[in-house]
Amino acid sequence: MIAFTWNGRRLQAQEGDSAADALRRNGVRVLAATRKRHRPLGWSGSFVQGVLAEVDGVPNVRLDQVPLRPGLALRRQNAWPSPGFDLLKAFRWLPARWVQGGFEHPRWLASGTGRFERWERLLGFLAGEGRLSPAAPALPVVPGARRRVDALVVGAGPAGRAEAAALEAAGKTVLVVTRGPKAVEGVETLTRHEAFGVYRGGRLVAAAPLDPSQGALVIETAELVLATGRRSCPPVVPGNDLPGAMDAPTALHLAERGIDLGRVVVVGTGAEAAVGAALARAGRVVATAPVASLRAILGRHAVRAVALDRRIACEALVHAGPWIGDPGLAFQAAADGRLRLTAGSLPPGVRVVGGAAAPDEPVHVGDLAAARRAAVCPCMDVMGGEILDLAAAGMTHVEELKRQTGCGMGPCQGLPCWEMLRALLAKATGSAVDDRPSHRPPRRSLTVAQAAGLAELVEPQQ
Amino acid sequence: MSGLGLGLNRRIVVIGGGIHGLGTAFHLARLGFRSVRVVDAGYFQGGASGRNGTLVRGGFASPEWTRLFAFSNQRWIALSRTLGENVMYTRRGYLIVAESERTQRLIEAAVPLHRDCGLSSEVIDPATLKRLAPSMATSTVRSAVQLRDGGVAPHHAAMQGFLKAARRLGVVVEYGKAVSAIEQDGSRIAAVVAGGERLPADLVVLAAGAQSVAVAALAGVRLDAFPQRIEALALEPVRPVLRPAIALPDRLCYLHQSARGEIVGGAEVAERPQDTLAVDLPVMATTARIYAEMFPAFARLRILRHWAGMLLATPDWGPLLGPHPELENLWVTTGWSYGIAGAAGTTELVAQSIAGDRPHELIRPFAVDRFRRGKPVTDGSIVLAPVEHPAAVP
Repeated sequence: MIAFTWNGRRLQAQEGDSAADALRRNGVRVLAATRKRHRPLGWSGSFVQGVLAEVDGVPNVRLDQVPLRPGLALRRQNAWPSPGFDLLKAFRWLPARWVQGGFEHPRWLASGTGRFERWERLLGFLAGEGRLSPAAPALPVVPGARRRVDALVVGAGPAGRAEAAALEAAGKTVLVVTRGPKAVEGVETLTRHEAFGVYRGGRLVAAAPLDPSQGALVIETAELVLATGRRSCPPVVPGNDLPGAMDAPTALHLAERGIDLGRVVVVGTGAEAAVGAALARAGRVVATAPVASLRAILGRHAVRAVALDRRIACEALVHAGPWIGDPGLAFQAAADGRLRLTAGSLPPGVRVVGGAAAPDEPVHVGDLAAARRAAVCPCMDVMGGEILDLAAAGMTHVEELKRQTGCGMGPCQGLPCWEMLRALLAKATGSAVDDRPSHRPPRRSLTVAQAAGLAELVEPQQ
Repeated sequence: MSGLGLGLNRRIVVIGGGIHGLGTAFHLARLGFRSVRVVDAGYFQGGASGRNGTLVRGGFASPEWTRLFAFSNQRWIALSRTLGENVMYTRRGYLIVAESERTQRLIEAAVPLHRDCGLSSEVIDPATLKRLAPSMATSTVRSAVQLRDGGVAPHHAAMQGFLKAARRLGVVVEYGKAVSAIEQDGSRIAAVVAGGERLPADLVVLAAGAQSVAVAALAGVRLDAFPQRIEALALEPVRPVLRPAIALPDRLCYLHQSARGEIVGGAEVAERPQDTLAVDLPVMATTARIYAEMFPAFARLRILRHWAGMLLATPDWGPLLGPHPELENLWVTTGWSYGIAGAAGTTELVAQSIAGDRPHELIRPFAVDRFRRGKPVTDGSIVLAPVEHPAAVP
């Protein structure tokens, strides 16, 4: 057993747990809060905000990527004056419309007055969330490295492994980058690394280790294979961001670690029965159903029930589909433009394979009246109602909606929020929305110290 | 005095719905012009006006820049009242930090000029610097000038303010409407064709940012400028650690912490001008290196996003303002690199100049043909890399 603390409280967990595993093992479901209204968030596998906390004094650390160490001090952030006595929780009672996009510049608090300056300082404090001491000890620049390969494969799932093996067999120098812990047999693999950006039409790829004390990399490659797989998109129904709602990979991981999920309802697009069977050892699977039948997820601080055709009490709602790809890297490889970045066809040498190449399944949007209360971007407190009202007022350009609401500008940087936004907009307007805002690197994949280590490794274009 | 006979009924077409296009249109309507129409090829806030660093300062090193920007700084302070909208201009102060002897001399010598222009400007001592910017490492700092009236204008609030205020005065503003042709009648523009619609025009204002050269070419005229990508990045939000806006001219870097808690800024690298919104690695790495050196506490923060915007670079980085010498009824307000800082005041001056058919004295040094006359307006305190002009300038 390993001892650690959560908000000063001593807890114990098992060797091999991540910080998020350890908390969940101790029954802690609420790990964080939304940005403005401080609604509770937990580990969902979908929304990064739900796993951000202060770790040994460092703000905004992903708990699911931190291996548990003896004495690790975990602390909830965005609480004031302290996590144990958090007055900011009162914001939960604010009506959603009071903090919609534009709330920060009301006419009655106009700039040019002392009142505004005080308001603006308060905004900065409330928006800041994590605490960073200005006098924090200097962190040395983590030197990066530059590599050159014939082929780079991103992802080590079945498709990535097959591609890597075939390229290797063809006599090419191959490198695999994967977030996961397992290397591809016989191929050089950077495990626990995230490829976070594609530059110069696919010729340069940047990657960073999940461990911030290790250096980032710039990889020059002739061929780029994106085998980034698919992920399950949360349903656009009320309660979709409650602690206890999670995607299938997260639930399966917890089950594998022997962590109790309580009563579980699994919804999906076909995989729900199989996922339910796999989860049976971690909890009591009380129902499996098509995601399309899900009307709402119920609970105040965490999941207590779901509404299908009937109400079913449970502590976890697991979604196994709809499955969607991560469009980020392919977009960056193909994107160009002056007025706006748009992705044409992929440049030569760049391929998308496996699940990532399959068409996205339609995101589940409940009936529109209910979807008003669904979170579209929980981190930034963007609810369905705000999007629907703006769409009704004629604002349907996804980039304008992003700028107006802040949707997708939090730690996830648009995935899955923009997919949910598109689905909601399509349902509201009755026509397909074949458009999303630009996926911008590096999506918090590296620290300033790691990025600084890439200086001088890439010549500016001359 | 062309067109004055038509007076306030003149049909004015503004090309570009960024902050200068919208602002000029607003001020024209405010002066009584009844037919002002803004067309923009992109989406609202899609151009540089929605992608910039949002910093505002009035004090530079040259009298020409300082007079224009000091005026604009004053207008920023009053802008919410002018527009009847909250533009969120925060007067949090702006620090120009010198690390080289040359920059030190330059900024310290500019302080009397700043004061002449009505700005609160002073050289601050190391203790004051430490108090104003406790997160900054000061071992390399030789001097710093504090501009108390400077600060930050989050572009979304200012853009919405100008858009709403302009529309209230009857200005028609349309996005997604690209200019495809400019019809001429001798040395005058007769009409602008935008989004398939022919808009007859008695006067045209070119405020199309990086696209201005291409638009001017439709009218058969040239601008001494070229499109260039500028990149910036945002760090993840933390509780306030940096109050003032900061420029580090010796490192070509600027930054501030936004009301969203994010630390937003960027540094320039010397590269061939890029005509794209796609980002590249050197700016991210260079900016990070500067942060790590100058703001050591930031080294542990993660980078949320990195993006690019396009501006229209001129040989002296100054804007192109005033009538175009080759077309009687074409006015220009483009070539901005400190476009947000200059917007609150210059939009008013350009509108006044159009109404009086005579460039205001503050914009006259930035005349469109100054390079051909051998009269650039250089300023040593700007945070932009000197670039080789790709087009030969006579």
